[in-house]
Amino acid sequence: MFRIPIQQRPNWQRKAADFGFKFHTMHGEPYWDETAYYQFTLNQIENDIEQPTADIHQMCLAVVERVVHDEALLARFQIPETFWLPIADSWKSRDPSLYSRLDFSYDGSGPAKLYENNADTPTSLYESGFWQWLWLEEQVNKGLVHKKADQFNSLQEKLVIRLGEIAHHYQLDFMHFACCKDTDEDRGTVQYLQDCAREAGIADYFVYMEDIGLSESAAFTDHDDQIIETLFKLYPWEFMQREDFAQHIQSSGTHWVEPLWKSVLSNKALMPMLWKMFPGHPNLLASYFEDELHLANETQLVKKPIFSREGANISIIENGKTVLEAQGPYGEEGFIYQAYSPLPKFGDNHTLIGSWLVDDQPAGISVREDTSLITQDMSRYLPHIIL
Amino acid sequence: MTQRKRSSNINLASMRKGFSVKPLALGIAAVMLSRCGEETEKATVYTSVDDCTNQNPGQEELCKTAYQDALDEAQRTGPKYASRQICEEEFGANQCNYTRTESGSFFMPFMAGYMLSNLLSPRGYNTQPMFTSYSPYSSYRHRWMGADGSDYGDYRRRNMNVSKKAFKSKPSVSKTMSRGGFGSSVRAKSSWGSSSRKSSGWGG
Repeated sequence: MFRIPIQQRPNWQRKAADFGFKFHTMHGEPYWDETAYYQFTLNQIENDIEQPTADIHQMCLAVVERVVHDEALLARFQIPETFWLPIADSWKSRDPSLYSRLDFSYDGSGPAKLYENNADTPTSLYESGFWQWLWLEEQVNKGLVHKKADQFNSLQEKLVIRLGEIAHHYQLDFMHFACCKDTDEDRGTVQYLQDCAREAGIADYFVYMEDIGLSESAAFTDHDDQIIETLFKLYPWEFMQREDFAQHIQSSGTHWVEPLWKSVLSNKALMPMLWKMFPGHPNLLASYFEDELHLANETQLVKKPIFSREGANISIIENGKTVLEAQGPYGEEGFIYQAYSPLPKFGDNHTLIGSWLVDDQPAGISVREDTSLITQDMSRYLPHIIL
Repeated sequence: MTQRKRSSNINLASMRKGFSVKPLALGIAAVMLSRCGEETEKATVYTSVDDCTNQNPGQEELCKTAYQDALDEAQRTGPKYASRQICEEEFGANQCNYTRTESGSFFMPFMAGYMLSNLLSPRGYNTQPMFTSYSPYSSYRHRWMGADGSDYGDYRRRNMNVSKKAFKSKPSVSKTMSRGGFGSSVRAKSSWGSSSRKSSGWGG
């Protein structure tokens, strides 16, 4: 695993505009960064990332199986009681899931360590599935990257197939897609999934979360009063379960993507549960619930809110003292603690690997860099190759 | 192992986003150009009822109804803009019309034609609005464009092969009693701290 500087494609901003990639620069700071790329060996990809990703996903499903049948655990996961039964039902009927992203700390050797599972609303999908794919095609064509270079990235292919399967499962040939207003990044991610749906022959409709309505028959509707039968929502379950329309989530009859049972996975309580069920697993970091902290013998711990996004409210604790803290609006539902395992450094950068799954199939990686130890939303996205 | 680990083929044309400024609202295309391997049928774009009647003698009534259906659909699902200037930048000078719908008032491009297939089929015809642009700034200049922004090729081309799966089923419509029951957490979290990035999303 190397970080290799490379010339940028001279016209890439123009190309980004053509393809509707609008959030490559955010707040004047680069987000998409093609001044360098990461190079992996096939062995690193297949043995250190792909296989552990598939394995961990199966372990996560084992956690879901356990949690949905245990009220005490559902409470620990801070899931509102009214959703316990709907979540169990969604799990029992195996409502199809679309995708997830596991975040790993990995430096090219030794086992990758799982930081968390973004199982409900992962972003950086477009950059991964399409934009870095295009980057490789073009850099190979220009002779700047070796002809034999490959990329761990079958995301788009798998997303198209999976969306087709989901449509078939629910016997539909159209699907609604939603995210919140005022965010180019989320809108871009959802648009990408709409593009993939179209490739699969599914008609796509978009609605903003804020514009969703409730019909007289208690179904959800879009801004054109059309009934939402299937909704892909890039909006966290833990928010939806606490908002005004929460009481209609089950009765609306909507097919949800991601399905309700994913609220068990996109939840930091997953980490101590994994550690309890698979203690000492090489790809896991020791993790503890707050009231089990006495079990921890690590001197350095990372404190993470049960619910949080983009590194917010995460702090690093050394011998009981906070040494680094990211601000944010999360934490009221409690915290979990994870053994400290710092991100590897390449130059001045801390590097995080996101490993994608489409349903239960490993489907590629994304590489993000941050100058801080805590990867936040100002981190940069770099392409990668396999050689 | 020699198996490729990346997507083998991505259709770049379908990944392009044609609009220079994204419309406020965008429809969907009922009829899509056929993809390879799909069963196809012929469709024709007509620029007026007369155009349709001339090519389908004796079918004036059908041509008229299909035109009216397409016009209604254009109003419902065509690209919508908040200002005339933005609309004209995409579609050209004097190509946009002020319109009021239930969801607000907008500027929309004129329907430039309608695409008709199965005109004489006992199952009924398929019709959908087509737009085109006269603006030098637009990637739709002199091209047929569907309500969803799909590019149907050069506007001199009138006959095309479309997907046989033509009329997709659509969502049913119901009366909406209340709105705004989702999204409040975002408003609450957004108000946190001045350093939080407003444009950042709620994914992770």
